[in-house]
Amino acid sequence: MAAWDLSVTVEDLGPDTPPVTLSVTSDLHVGGVILKLVEKTQIKRDWSDHALWWEQKQRWLLRTAWTLEKYGIHADARLVFMPQHKPLKLGLPNGITLRLRACFSNPVFQTVIGICRMLNIRHPEELSLLRPLEEKKKKKDKDSTVEIYDLTEVPLSSVSRPCLYNGMPAHFADSPQMEAIYKMLSVTQPPPAPEVIAKQYRPASVVDKAHINGRWLDSSRCLMQQGIQENDKLWLRFKYFAFYDIEPKYDVVRLTQLYEQARWAILLEDIDCTEEEMMLFGALQYHISKVSQSEPQLLSSSAAMDDLESALQSLEVKMEGESSSASEMLENMTAPELNDYLKIFRPKRLTLKGYKQYWFKFQDTSISYFKSKEESIGEPIQQINLKGCEVAPDVNMAAQKFLIRLLIPAPEGMNEVYLRCENEQQYAQWMAACRLASKGKSLADSSYQSEIQSIHSFLAMQKTNSGSHGNAAASDESINTHSLVSPRYHKKYKAKQLTPRILDAYQNVAQFSLTEAVMRFLQIWQALPDFGLSYVVVRFKGSRKDEVLGIAPNRLIRIDLGVGDVVKTWRYNNMKQWNVNWDIKQMAIEFEGNVNIAFSCVTADCKIVHEFIGGYIFMSTRSREKSDTLNEELFHKLTGGHEAL
Amino acid sequence: MDDIDAMFSDLLGEMDLLTQSLGQETVPPEPLLLPATNEEINFSIGFTDLNESLHELEDNDLDALMADLVADLSATEEKLAAEIEGLKVPSPPQSDLPPPPKGLSTHSASPHASPASSTRSSVSTPASSAASPLPPPPPQSSKPTKEEIEAQMKADKIKLALEKLKEAKVKKLVVKVLMNDGSSKTLMVDERQNVREVLDNLFEKTHCDCNVDWSLCETNPELQLERAFEDHENLVEPLSAWTRDSENKVLFQERKEKYEVFKNPQNFYLWKKDKKALKDIKDKDKDILIQENFCGTSIIVPDLEAVLHLKEDGKKSWKQRLFQLRASGIYYVPKGKTKSSRDLVCFLQFDNVNVYYGKDFKSKYKAPTDFCFVLKHPQIQKESQYIKYLCCDDAWTMNLWVTGIRIAKYGASLYENYKTAEKKAAVSSVWTNRSTPSSSNPSTPSPTIKGSTTRKLSLLSLKHQCVDPPCLVNSPPPVHVTMFYILSSQDFGNIPPPPPPPPLPSTEILPPPPPDPVLPPPPPLAAKSYAKPVPPQRHLPTNFPPPAMDNLPPPPPPPPMDDSSEAPPDFLPPPPPAAGFGSLPPPPPLLMNSLPPPPPSFGGMDQSLPPPPPDPEFLPPPPTQQVYIGAGAPPPPPPPPPPAAAAAAPRAPVRPSGSVKKLPPAPPKRTTPSLLGEGGGGGGGDFMSELMLAMQKKRSDH
Repeated sequence: MAAWDLSVTVEDLGPDTPPVTLSVTSDLHVGGVILKLVEKTQIKRDWSDHALWWEQKQRWLLRTAWTLEKYGIHADARLVFMPQHKPLKLGLPNGITLRLRACFSNPVFQTVIGICRMLNIRHPEELSLLRPLEEKKKKKDKDSTVEIYDLTEVPLSSVSRPCLYNGMPAHFADSPQMEAIYKMLSVTQPPPAPEVIAKQYRPASVVDKAHINGRWLDSSRCLMQQGIQENDKLWLRFKYFAFYDIEPKYDVVRLTQLYEQARWAILLEDIDCTEEEMMLFGALQYHISKVSQSEPQLLSSSAAMDDLESALQSLEVKMEGESSSASEMLENMTAPELNDYLKIFRPKRLTLKGYKQYWFKFQDTSISYFKSKEESIGEPIQQINLKGCEVAPDVNMAAQKFLIRLLIPAPEGMNEVYLRCENEQQYAQWMAACRLASKGKSLADSSYQSEIQSIHSFLAMQKTNSGSHGNAAASDESINTHSLVSPRYHKKYKAKQLTPRILDAYQNVAQFSLTEAVMRFLQIWQALPDFGLSYVVVRFKGSRKDEVLGIAPNRLIRIDLGVGDVVKTWRYNNMKQWNVNWDIKQMAIEFEGNVNIAFSCVTADCKIVHEFIGGYIFMSTRSREKSDTLNEELFHKLTGGHEAL
Repeated sequence: MDDIDAMFSDLLGEMDLLTQSLGQETVPPEPLLLPATNEEINFSIGFTDLNESLHELEDNDLDALMADLVADLSATEEKLAAEIEGLKVPSPPQSDLPPPPKGLSTHSASPHASPASSTRSSVSTPASSAASPLPPPPPQSSKPTKEEIEAQMKADKIKLALEKLKEAKVKKLVVKVLMNDGSSKTLMVDERQNVREVLDNLFEKTHCDCNVDWSLCETNPELQLERAFEDHENLVEPLSAWTRDSENKVLFQERKEKYEVFKNPQNFYLWKKDKKALKDIKDKDKDILIQENFCGTSIIVPDLEAVLHLKEDGKKSWKQRLFQLRASGIYYVPKGKTKSSRDLVCFLQFDNVNVYYGKDFKSKYKAPTDFCFVLKHPQIQKESQYIKYLCCDDAWTMNLWVTGIRIAKYGASLYENYKTAEKKAAVSSVWTNRSTPSSSNPSTPSPTIKGSTTRKLSLLSLKHQCVDPPCLVNSPPPVHVTMFYILSSQDFGNIPPPPPPPPLPSTEILPPPPPDPVLPPPPPLAAKSYAKPVPPQRHLPTNFPPPAMDNLPPPPPPPPMDDSSEAPPDFLPPPPPAAGFGSLPPPPPLLMNSLPPPPPSFGGMDQSLPPPPPDPEFLPPPPTQQVYIGAGAPPPPPPPPPPAAAAAAPRAPVRPSGSVKKLPPAPPKRTTPSLLGEGGGGGGGDFMSELMLAMQKKRSDH
């Protein structure tokens, strides 16, 4: 067979080195070509990750047993010999950028699996990669400051077997630096400065939101084929909002990143919520950041609780603690109480004009008051049980106004009572007591001290952020409340005004552990009506205007852009089949009951839409019985394009 | 009546004696004894209340109350016996054992004579007063196995003292429940019991078909409101909010809307679709809906939106507004604004309010229709500006909203309640009577209350969801078309279906009613030993930790437990009917044994404990009687608890983890079952006959 010359560029030799020319025959298989090539370069190193990339055809020659003829390679082919894994800058949901080696030769689906394995994120099928938004033109302001955490040294082999060490993958336990990176992945970030939020791109309309979905990479093709180069930047995001089997014990990184993605979605108004909901999200963020600073190990250490020994240890401690406390408890059966002079005002009653001072006693869940301290042994003037009441703060630090507004239920309705405290300390104690009592807890409750603490820290917030300068974000005591809500509320309220509202919502979440708070945040997020919707602008067949298709985990919705309303809903479980016409870029879907819809996609490739729908159907086929094995073949079947079949 | 009063004081005195003797024997000169003053106060308060309530009770109610007290007493005795024997029997809140189902005959046809009287009255737990000065009549000798306990002595005493303290605080109400037929039943409910337990209790008393629609409802005639209690709610708390002169009533009735959302979720979650599609929906699709909305990480609230009429604060007029329901509350769209979330104004959040059906509001408040619902703080009993009145165009909308609000407010508990109720219904329908219609088709006709509505699909208004006119694909013949078929409908079916009520093994069947239901002279032993093994067996999430143990100084292993000692309910083992909740009874006695556990390995918090080291002493359990008494078979002879426990012990791995994880390992020693029986019986004999005499005397007086 005639020999001919094949020129191959060896990437590792540098861009200026001319291609290596090999003399080959058409029946030489690819493995043979590589062998010749390596021999010719005379460089001794591990070439095992390298493979040939055929530039014109945009494909990898990964089947080493195939001959050149079978691949259809002739002398004019431009081949590049390069590693299959290359560094990639990866933006995570929490805003951190990692540099790691990702696979450029396998379908993106597998690339993501590899990345997730390295980062210890379960269920990689829910995530995917997308091209980041172009940075705004303001290149001038310090672009260089973006810190990149390097993971490229992680040996690829170690990634394949996820063995845990100290609750984290072994490759993170190698050095303190690596451990720090893992912490970055698994611990929530402090609230961002308000300016940072304000600077970020915020979609202003459904159409804006639709544009982001045009950026998803194709899961069935590799990075090289999609024009991604070494060191390019991509975002790793949760794409399918069907989170399967969340288990805080194993999902430390997954939960943290999910929380971060949700938090940013809220802050940037990617998903709409009401003001009340925003305050609750704010309160949860505040709580999460506070708790994760004080007990950063909580999430990961729960994994260690598996360990028999540690479990036993904690048991022992607990038993010691309790046996002593049991007898103590009996001895101090007298419940703690508060006693002090306060001023009371009843807006509804005409008998009491203005605030009047009495001697107050807080015991169990009730407040009683007496004319003076001396008379406190006798019958109180009145006793008020606070169980089930509403407690609202009315505080103005500058004016030294410390008011507790109580709305106390009675058979006749709610009675309004205001208690006026003299100073911060007194206020914190009585306010905390009122809060607990409203939930039926007495002063003896263990949460009393922490309740006082949180009231103090919120008062401190009111003190400090009179101005709105934002680098306070890092320090725990004085979080700028503007860091916790979307920019819309920066305009609507001063930080000072926000504080009491967030504190109000905070009452209900203050007792959560870190994991509970994160889970709660995710739950509320998932309960929002628009949760899980990915938008695409489409043109329905027969319609002359653009409309928006919302793709949710369980349904498709059609949104009329004019009205902004959902006009139609189709559920996947009524879907019989869908067709993609790749040439005219049109999707046709048939539902039960002879319902057919067809549309072409405007803001995203129809492959993306097709992949979303197929992907969600794939997500719904996962079930516990199949446990951990991911049915990759099925995924590709449901989401792949024509070449996949 | 004086007679009765006297008898009750006697009764209380007796109980004091019993408890006191108990205190003296086992808690001798410890510093732990309760401050007497406290006790005295309790005692006297209890007394006045008791008197009041007695005056309000009718004779047949009194009988019932007596039965409850008798049950209490026998339980107390039993506890006493058990403790004296050093046997760590779950001194399950004796006080809570529901009365042995009494013959219904006692209720006879006595007309409902005191309609206006409050249907409840408080009784303080008699068992609590340990400070009575009466001399202790300790009928029990401390026969057995006292030798080994030394190590535990102190712990036990502390536990005992704490237990008493707890009990002293337990509040009880005598509740009169109106039946559909106008008759009533009286029961004692203590504050730790939830509505489910009370319902189970009523099931036993009424022999109804136990279907899931049976509810306990409260009515407020003054405000013309009514609502069904949710099964997980505690009953005593809302009833305590009633005023003294309240005409409110508690009803026992079937309410179709109670769990309708789980039977026909499409009506709530796909309410915008056209009604024909809703009617024809397949079971599979219903399952998917339940799965999606109730089994995910987050409970999804139906996405409701409607123009409702709102009664303006303090005014007589009704004003229309466009309302939306969200998980976080009810919102309305302010005038001139869009429906976008950020413009919504919060009308109300659910933390502090309950939702009620309004009755006859058209005439009472000039409402546009009679389909009204109300949101108010449970404590508000009279008209007030703090009550929110809403009026819907039709019954269908009203039900949609009330159910939606319940989902938003109660979340996962609602579905848990349903599953429990379904289980209960399934068991009952198998067990009680084969001819009874099964629970799933509630067929027993019941007088419908006005609030409960018939579905009117046609009335569905607002945004309609019609199906697209089929737009066929008649584009140029596709050159390149890929077809993607849904693999088969099974693919969707793969979604784990919402847990259907797991078929109950026959073993999980209710313990049969005590063999001798006739009340007045209740053979104490028979009744109580039935109840005994049953109590702590539930694996519901709402699970209460088994009795007493929280307070044990050497507490059971896993940390999650510790707050549980706070809430009174934790203390309560459910009354026997709770057995129907399924799951094997974990051996109660184990719980009490408070030796620092020789820790058997328990890997993973969720794992059940490995079987405790077999103890030769209790290894041979009476083979015939498994843990599951009853099992649908005729009641076996009263099985004393210890053997049951022993039998259960080796089965530990099977146990539901919920309750199991709290178990310390098996006690190293155990007395034989028979001892307990004897002890309890010996103590009870005299007292019970006295009581009987008292009862008879009372009867003859009439």
